[in-house]
Amino acid sequence: MLRSRLFRATTTQAVFGLSLLLAQGAIADTAPVKNGASQISVTLTGDNGGQCVLDHNSAAAGPVTFTITNLSAPAISEFELQSGSRIFGEKENLAPGLPASTFTVTLDGGEYQIYCPGAAQQKAVAFAVTGNTATHAQGTTADLLNTGTEGYTRYVDGMVDAMIVAATRLQDDIDNGDLGAAKAAYANARPFYERIETDVEGFFLPGFAPTDNAGNLDYLIDMRASNLDPAVGWHGFHAVERDLFGAGKITDDTKALAAELVANVTKLGTLAKGLTYRPEDLANGAAALLEEVQSGKITGEEEAFSHIDLVDFAGNVEGAQQAFAFLQPGIRQIDPDLSARIEAQFTAVLGMLEEYRDPNALGGYVTYTNVLRASDAVKLSKAIQNLQEPLAQISEKVATAS
Amino acid sequence: MSKSQKTPANSLAVSRRGLLLGAAAGGVGAALPHTATAAKAEDMVKPDPMETEYPFYGTGGQAGIATPPQRHAMFMSFDLTTDKRGDLQVLLARWSAAIGLMMRGKAISAVESDHEYAVKLETGEALDLGPAGLTVTVGLGPRVFGPEYGLAAHRPPLMRPLKALPSDALHPEWTGGDLSLQACAEDPQVAYHAIRVLSRIAKRLNAASVRWTVMGFGRASAGKGQVTPRNLFGFRDGTRNIREPAAMARHVWLNDGPEWQRGGTYQVARKIEMHIENWDTDQVSDQNAVFGRHKATGAPLGSKAEFDTPDFAKRDADGNPMIPVNAHIRLAAREHNDGTQILRRSYNYTDGLNDVARLDAGLLFISYQNDPANFEALQTKLGAADALNEYITHVGSALFFVPPAAPEGSYLGAPLFA
Repeated sequence: MLRSRLFRATTTQAVFGLSLLLAQGAIADTAPVKNGASQISVTLTGDNGGQCVLDHNSAAAGPVTFTITNLSAPAISEFELQSGSRIFGEKENLAPGLPASTFTVTLDGGEYQIYCPGAAQQKAVAFAVTGNTATHAQGTTADLLNTGTEGYTRYVDGMVDAMIVAATRLQDDIDNGDLGAAKAAYANARPFYERIETDVEGFFLPGFAPTDNAGNLDYLIDMRASNLDPAVGWHGFHAVERDLFGAGKITDDTKALAAELVANVTKLGTLAKGLTYRPEDLANGAAALLEEVQSGKITGEEEAFSHIDLVDFAGNVEGAQQAFAFLQPGIRQIDPDLSARIEAQFTAVLGMLEEYRDPNALGGYVTYTNVLRASDAVKLSKAIQNLQEPLAQISEKVATAS
Repeated sequence: MSKSQKTPANSLAVSRRGLLLGAAAGGVGAALPHTATAAKAEDMVKPDPMETEYPFYGTGGQAGIATPPQRHAMFMSFDLTTDKRGDLQVLLARWSAAIGLMMRGKAISAVESDHEYAVKLETGEALDLGPAGLTVTVGLGPRVFGPEYGLAAHRPPLMRPLKALPSDALHPEWTGGDLSLQACAEDPQVAYHAIRVLSRIAKRLNAASVRWTVMGFGRASAGKGQVTPRNLFGFRDGTRNIREPAAMARHVWLNDGPEWQRGGTYQVARKIEMHIENWDTDQVSDQNAVFGRHKATGAPLGSKAEFDTPDFAKRDADGNPMIPVNAHIRLAAREHNDGTQILRRSYNYTDGLNDVARLDAGLLFISYQNDPANFEALQTKLGAADALNEYITHVGSALFFVPPAAPEGSYLGAPLFA
């Protein structure tokens, strides 16, 4: 699980220990312009443990096309153009024997660095851009990402509000002693938390140590049998689930648990609303939601009494998909191939979930029985795995976007 | 980690392995090991197996076929999850580059990063273990040459699904696959790491996902110069295995057909469950009769020593064949199969207890042959009549074409995409 917000210090962007200067006395060797773009050829070889060689170390401001060929460097699969710690362009999946790949990026005057992770010289190659270019027609990638995170903030706030409403509805049905209605209300309340759980975990009630589950709101709201802390006992959604679906009856204890749940999600709402996020928070949150799917839902461990794991599964995936969607305009500029791949995998997972929809079932998805788990867990897990690996790459990209 | 530059794949390296060197090659450079330490005349001691290094790039067959079997293996079969030829191409290129590094004992990326949010491809569990004799052999399944990737014109002529064979009890979850990886090493963690990282590359590209896997140990097939190892039934396995380059050339490597397939071969992988508890309570005399050999020495019944040629005509005092008519070695013998031989490169496996509390163990059978029909012919005979069938079940199966090694600067299967 990625670090929760609680423990997150304000980050200082790591700065590469790179030499930003051309060698003393070196005469900048300016790239020729063809088709309106400066042309730079990059050759990767296995010589001396892996080299990344440019044919020109300077270009005029404006469009610059990099053509990268991996001749014989198995250790180098990526090429990055940076300035400071910001990435302006990159190419992946470079391997010996593959055709050359190109990308074009519009650059302002300044000092840049070419970085080939895996090369023997972990130092970057200096690359100079001279003059000034017209302002970009579009906002920068960083602007797009920031716009996306603002939109995502509103999404989270909406989910928090809806969660409080749904939990209150669950409490009302329990107070009325209506077991059937309470079961339905339970299933309807779960997705809101599941969509945003990685954003809202890590909050503690005042006066409690971070290691004390008695003050851990995530524990109090979403603990389950598999992470039960005997010192604190049963609380929250799954304690209610245990009574409704396990014991099959509503007791005074159930009513007390439901009231406590509403109080805690309300507190959580106060803490979580108005939070600001950075693009990497969305990326990490999306990845962490998929971790939740693998560790809690596919195993059938999350909803051990109600077996509505597929409802939670869908909630986690929807939350991850929303986080990605808000970042996607920016990611598309950074790495269009990766963006398309992740989008395709989300489409595949959501399409697969459609097969399990059942409007008559609690929460709208078929019950995740032991039989269904035995027959389908492999398929579900593989689909999520195929989304996890590409998605894992976006956090670093958005954190370093220019 | 400082390792000396590797020897070119097509040169004969001499190392402290002495006589083992050059023996396994069959004229195939990629099979030749060398150790990282220069050989000294006074230094003919047993080399450190963790320092053994085989070249990935070269000509002829891929490493891991004629290579003397290492102690540990991990086999994994994959399903292609893309319909784009370019994804398959990039996967084979990325796999090749990564395998080339790992076989030299190198990490495939930095383990840590200056970027707080970096997720690294290198998982780290094999750091500092050295090359450990790692080989990774890549196989291409039937679907690679199907219509969807536009590679049907390159289909190896003998590539097809294996026929249904007598006594097959195959489970779909341990059968088939579009790609295979066979990682072998002297250290299980090195083999495991290779498969783990390569499967991440496949998922990262959304090109392939895992299908089935078996982790093997205690090589169960002898290579040249090796003491014949034993399978989990306690019997020597591979006494009559192919060892000589001439026999490799005749039975294993493709010597004709399209240029890019020469030096290729066909890989059969079978997961064979052993009914260990039943076997262990069987009389040893019956066990000997099942195999047709003495358990302790490996000598054929009626002969004195392991490498004596079995005398299939020899009879006991009652006139019965010393080697029973349904004994494993009789049915499998080249003398009774028109001279057919296959290169066996099997490993034992165990996976704890099965769902009925019996030892879940058996043989990860891997064979290499230049015609899958050769395996089919042998297994048709064995599956129908082998006395051993009472104690084994073939539960998994797959067939792959193994393209030849890639030269430096290229990747496995590159000619497919030219």
